[in-house]
Amino acid sequence: MSVSETPTTYSGARKGEDKSFEGVWDTPKGIHVLSSVSHRVVGRRFIYTGFVFFLIAGVLALLVRTQLIVPGNTFLDLETYNQVFTMHGTLMMFLFAIPILEGFAVYLIPLMLGARDLIFPRLGQFGYYCYLFGGIIVLSSFVFDAAPDGGWFMYVPLSTKAHTPGLSADFWLIGITFAEIASVTAAVELITAILTARAPGMSLTKMPIFAWYILITAFMIAIGFPPLIIGSILLEAERLLGLPFFDPMLGGDPLLWQHLFWLFGHPEVYIIFLPAAGMVATMLPTFVGKPLFGYGFAVAAVVSMGFISFGLWAHHMFATGLPILSLSLFSAASTMVAVPTAIQVFCFIATLASGRPKLTTPMLFILGFLSIFVLGGLTGVMLASVPFNWQAHDSYFVVAHLHYVLIGGMVFPLIGAFYYWAPHFTGRMMSERLGRWVFGLMFVGFNTTFLLMHITGLRGMPRRVATYAEGLGWDRLNMLSSIGSYILAAGIALFVFDFFRSRRHGPPAPRNPWGAGTLEWLYPPVAPGFNFHAIPPVESREPLWDQPHLLETEAHKVEGVMHGIRDGRRETVGCDPVSGKPLYILRLPHPTWLPMIAAAGLALLFGATLASAYWLCAVGAVIALVAFTLWGWEPSDSGVTRDAGMGHELPVNVVDRRSHMHVALVGTMLVLMALFASLIFGLLYLWNIRPEAAETLTRPALLPAAVAVVLGLAVALFGQLTRRAAVRDRFAGATVLSLLTVLTSLLAVAALGLSLMPIDPWASALGATLWAIGGFVAFNLAVLTYWGLFNAARRLTRRIGPGQSMPDFNLATFAKGCGLMVAVAGAFFIAGAVGGVG
Amino acid sequence: MTALTRQIVAIARPGVVWAVHFIAIYALISAACAARALIGHPTLLIAGAVVTVLGVALCLWSVAAPRTGEDGDLRPAAFWSGLIFALAILANASALFFFQSCGG
Repeated sequence: MSVSETPTTYSGARKGEDKSFEGVWDTPKGIHVLSSVSHRVVGRRFIYTGFVFFLIAGVLALLVRTQLIVPGNTFLDLETYNQVFTMHGTLMMFLFAIPILEGFAVYLIPLMLGARDLIFPRLGQFGYYCYLFGGIIVLSSFVFDAAPDGGWFMYVPLSTKAHTPGLSADFWLIGITFAEIASVTAAVELITAILTARAPGMSLTKMPIFAWYILITAFMIAIGFPPLIIGSILLEAERLLGLPFFDPMLGGDPLLWQHLFWLFGHPEVYIIFLPAAGMVATMLPTFVGKPLFGYGFAVAAVVSMGFISFGLWAHHMFATGLPILSLSLFSAASTMVAVPTAIQVFCFIATLASGRPKLTTPMLFILGFLSIFVLGGLTGVMLASVPFNWQAHDSYFVVAHLHYVLIGGMVFPLIGAFYYWAPHFTGRMMSERLGRWVFGLMFVGFNTTFLLMHITGLRGMPRRVATYAEGLGWDRLNMLSSIGSYILAAGIALFVFDFFRSRRHGPPAPRNPWGAGTLEWLYPPVAPGFNFHAIPPVESREPLWDQPHLLETEAHKVEGVMHGIRDGRRETVGCDPVSGKPLYILRLPHPTWLPMIAAAGLALLFGATLASAYWLCAVGAVIALVAFTLWGWEPSDSGVTRDAGMGHELPVNVVDRRSHMHVALVGTMLVLMALFASLIFGLLYLWNIRPEAAETLTRPALLPAAVAVVLGLAVALFGQLTRRAAVRDRFAGATVLSLLTVLTSLLAVAALGLSLMPIDPWASALGATLWAIGGFVAFNLAVLTYWGLFNAARRLTRRIGPGQSMPDFNLATFAKGCGLMVAVAGAFFIAGAVGGVG
Repeated sequence: MTALTRQIVAIARPGVVWAVHFIAIYALISAACAARALIGHPTLLIAGAVVTVLGVALCLWSVAAPRTGEDGDLRPAAFWSGLIFALAILANASALFFFQSCGG
């Protein structure tokens, strides 16, 4: 539905009317650079911070290998060893792999798609600071001598208060949950950016393959991270408040943690692999000089992988005593995922075969990726077989497999990507000669370390042991693996040296130095902060190959839409998600400190929880809330049309289901629904496997539960009516209906609370889970209430004027989602009340 | 709905069908094999067979549907997506028919 609004004189935020186009897009100088919201600045920060975490985690890996170099070694004591391998895995998986790939996506996607920035720049800055502060919280555990030591998967009951009484598990749970906010916000931002901000003519089928990979990855993050977020919150609630979610004595189950963890943990492997494979699919055609073979096959394979990867989680739990039928189901799905993976690999090989590849440094890393990753995939198929898995479980064979998949599938493409896109970061080329040395050292070092680990594992060496006895047949293998790890580290060290050396001494990069076909090379490195003076229409997936005039003309003279500035604002073009047809002018925010302040407030909230300083938590929450409020407290931009050039007269920030705000809201609802579904999964799981515990639970109250269902439907109805009134420009009606939405939300919270009153959450896991569901829904209704009041206040203070219906349009979608959650939660409470929970 | 939108839906639909089928099979196994034992093995088999036939049929719809006026490059995507997910559904369901009980 598209809504034509009454054109009025522009009433939106005025920020740079006295500046030139370049001035409007200028990156703030000095300390103010911290307030920059540019995707280029934020993307680089993600990349550099992620790489620092990689180096720290790498040093920890070297400590592990040094400890294991000889039998009976006392280089590290047992406790330190546990901390070191736990932090190695944690940093690599949570603070390096995903953030650095998201950093590349944040940096490259707008450039490749023909956008001037990511469309929620402030959200990008907020996500980065959450990631940074979360990472600092996790790392600071070393300073307090409380580094987590329970493995990167933090299994219960080991990580419960009874078995880990200190703060180490809390550092992990709180720091990682906080850092995950960055992944989720980046996912929503990337989904929206890819779907709504592309160059004219760039339909989904003309999109660079990298964007498909990132789109699917972002959807996977939006669905895959919530189970871990919920699991971490439940575990922290058990540790902090004594709620017995995982306590078998009170109807809980330690395996629930494993389910929630691996519901995230296995898709995460593909979340790490897919963007890296997307980099390969982007670089490979450049060096072959031909388009990617089988674009359609690759898209189908990526989509298939995205789905199937969610059906594999329990293959990490084959040794936990699940029914054989369940094991077979997960074994089948684990084997099937090899099909889409192989399709992609065949696409890459066919592309290689279609031309004469240039053996540049990035190309060497691509070849390294292909050989190592395929070996890792093959051992993955072996491990998908239940009998073999039982034999190899928790042995060094698994360690070898996972490193072949993750280093081969992600680190090799990543280093290749650094060599390929380095001109974007430094304006200079990295050294081809040193690059070959880096590749050689890494390839030899990696295979020396991990190829031998397959044998070590098959000879029976278990994972996570701090030392081993002499004469078990592991001595020489471990020594060679440790020597290999030093060679691998030398390769990484040489790469770091080359990167810094090239910043000063590398040859200046020419325009499109590799002869690539994608738009990020349209401008000479380093491209200006606004990416494009004018956004050129695109006719193919390789515009720089198929539209030669783009490179024949000086970049700033290339013709396109959105030339110049309107109303002194940063802006790009918003498009139809499928066809790529220009739909509206997308106004972008200017630099601001608010997202950083909001993230700092949240960091205080999370950090003070560790110190049990709850008054400080409240201060942090207030700081964050004020920052969020000021963030949204701007005049609405919609309601006017402007000339976008090339015959396009476009509305500003159109009120439409296809607008970036609405698409982002749908993405956010996807995350919230996944969180909600994780709680429902937990409830059904405990109810199903512990019937005897369920029978002893007090029933929820029936009448309030029934009222809650009705109120949930009323919340959705009033939200929709608010939208209708706002779209029809009924100013007073929209305000009244918005307040009615708020009122019914508050009543729904009360009804849910009354229904749960008879249940003691400390008495049983099922009761605690019911309260967790109620609490989650109440939190969302509180957000809805705040949002409704916020909209009403903006309307009363004329921040939203007549003809500007976007805030209410979006509120309606959120109200419908909240209404659905209330109705579902209420239905479960009714089922418990009528049938008895048992 | 434009031809392009139809094509995108045709690529994604088999995945959604696979997801629904996976959840159904997982739920059926959980209902039959967990301590509560909500359903018996015969019910598990019959219900599993029904959802599998439905799932495969829906996936193969993407494989067999005529494609006119659509983007040439994405035509194989819809075809392969349907085929991969049909196979994946059969693989998931095969577990049910190889074992006589939850324990094998």
